[in-house]
Amino acid sequence: MKLPTFKNYLLVLTVNAFVTVTLNADPVPGLSELSDSIVRESAFAFVNTTTSPGLEGATLTLDDGNRQSDQWRSSLGFSAEFTIKNHIFNGYWGMAVVGGSLNDRSELTGDSGQPVQVDLTRDVVALRGSFGLSYPVTQHFKLRPYLSLSVSDLQTESIVDGLLATVPGGSAEATAVFNSSAQMLSTTGSVDALYSRWYGGNRLELSAHYHLIYTDAFSEDNPILETEAWNDVLQLKSRYSGPTRLTSIGRPWRWLLYANHSNFLSQDNLSLGYTSLFEFGVGMEWQMNIKPMDWFGWQMVGLKAGVITSSNVEGYFMGLTAR
Amino acid sequence: MSRRILSIICSCFILGACVQTPVIKEDGYAFIGSNYPIVSVNGVETEPVYSLDLETGSNTLIIVYNSYQYDYYCTFTWPAVENTVYEVTDQDNRYPLTLYRWVKVNSLWASRLDYQDPTECIRKPRRTNSDDN
Repeated sequence: MKLPTFKNYLLVLTVNAFVTVTLNADPVPGLSELSDSIVRESAFAFVNTTTSPGLEGATLTLDDGNRQSDQWRSSLGFSAEFTIKNHIFNGYWGMAVVGGSLNDRSELTGDSGQPVQVDLTRDVVALRGSFGLSYPVTQHFKLRPYLSLSVSDLQTESIVDGLLATVPGGSAEATAVFNSSAQMLSTTGSVDALYSRWYGGNRLELSAHYHLIYTDAFSEDNPILETEAWNDVLQLKSRYSGPTRLTSIGRPWRWLLYANHSNFLSQDNLSLGYTSLFEFGVGMEWQMNIKPMDWFGWQMVGLKAGVITSSNVEGYFMGLTAR
Repeated sequence: MSRRILSIICSCFILGACVQTPVIKEDGYAFIGSNYPIVSVNGVETEPVYSLDLETGSNTLIIVYNSYQYDYYCTFTWPAVENTVYEVTDQDNRYPLTLYRWVKVNSLWASRLDYQDPTECIRKPRRTNSDDN
């Protein structure tokens, strides 16, 4: 391992000390292109595109000229309806553990005109619980309003390369490393409109999902993230499934095709480099049909694989699903 | 240590209590539980009930699935087997309600087997004098 020379060590120390003193005024000294609002919106956008209800796993790659990023999200959760006797409406609940990561590399221009590389890594882990009601309007159409609460822990590491160091007798470029953490409490009000119809053994499902998210963020080491924000997300989903001749343990498999669109309505394109995603895929579902705790039905587990696309974004999803 | 053993015993007790097979009246009977009201048993209208002891052999039940616009009167006819538990629930299948044979697998979950659709579901406009909401 190569030890830093005294001069380099001094450079890093100086930059770090300078940043600590002036953090309240400017996220990165000498890089005013990176404003407070961009830092905030980027953090919220990452958390929302990872932890919002209705989002499934994804691995995304963005290439937008001066900006490249890799993002993934994954969740382990379950949601179900349960009957409330003597009422037409049913109850709805869900729980999920969600995780995600983002590595975002941008090339910006420093205040002195020099190129500056910003390498940002964010990791989030969240726990989400949902509770609501489901109103069957007809056999085929239901409305489902529900509330979700989620707690997220966000860790961020920013490496800024190319800042001009302010050390006596030197004008060399320096690398600054910023670490910060934030805890976010999100309350999401959602409305799902769900339509389904059978054609023989095949089933068509169409749904629209709107989520209004209020997030309160707390951070001890980054005052910029000591704030709150409103965001909203619209999702349109469709799937078509049919029977197969395959069975396992006496239970049948079904094939499925799906197409989804997620639009992060209030998200600025600068935040993550995209504001909407399209996903298309195929899958197989096994109708295991059990009733955990003798309380709610767990009908299917399945395998799905799909491609995700948008302007400048390519991605995929491959994984297990349950419902 | 004794606290740990106590907590394990309590956990087992709680988990063991999760899934319990309904008590079947006596030999010659089966049991059905429904998430929606059973309004007719073998051609005889009854006060809405959510569970019944059924004599084994062929049974015909009418169970109502309620929505805000319509009520769906679904008729199930099947041969009930002695000491067997059945369940009717809504699972977004082709018909509003589906009949299953209910089997306890272990303390944590039960299994729904032998899927059966109703013989018919008659759709009627929602009753305006219903107490349901």
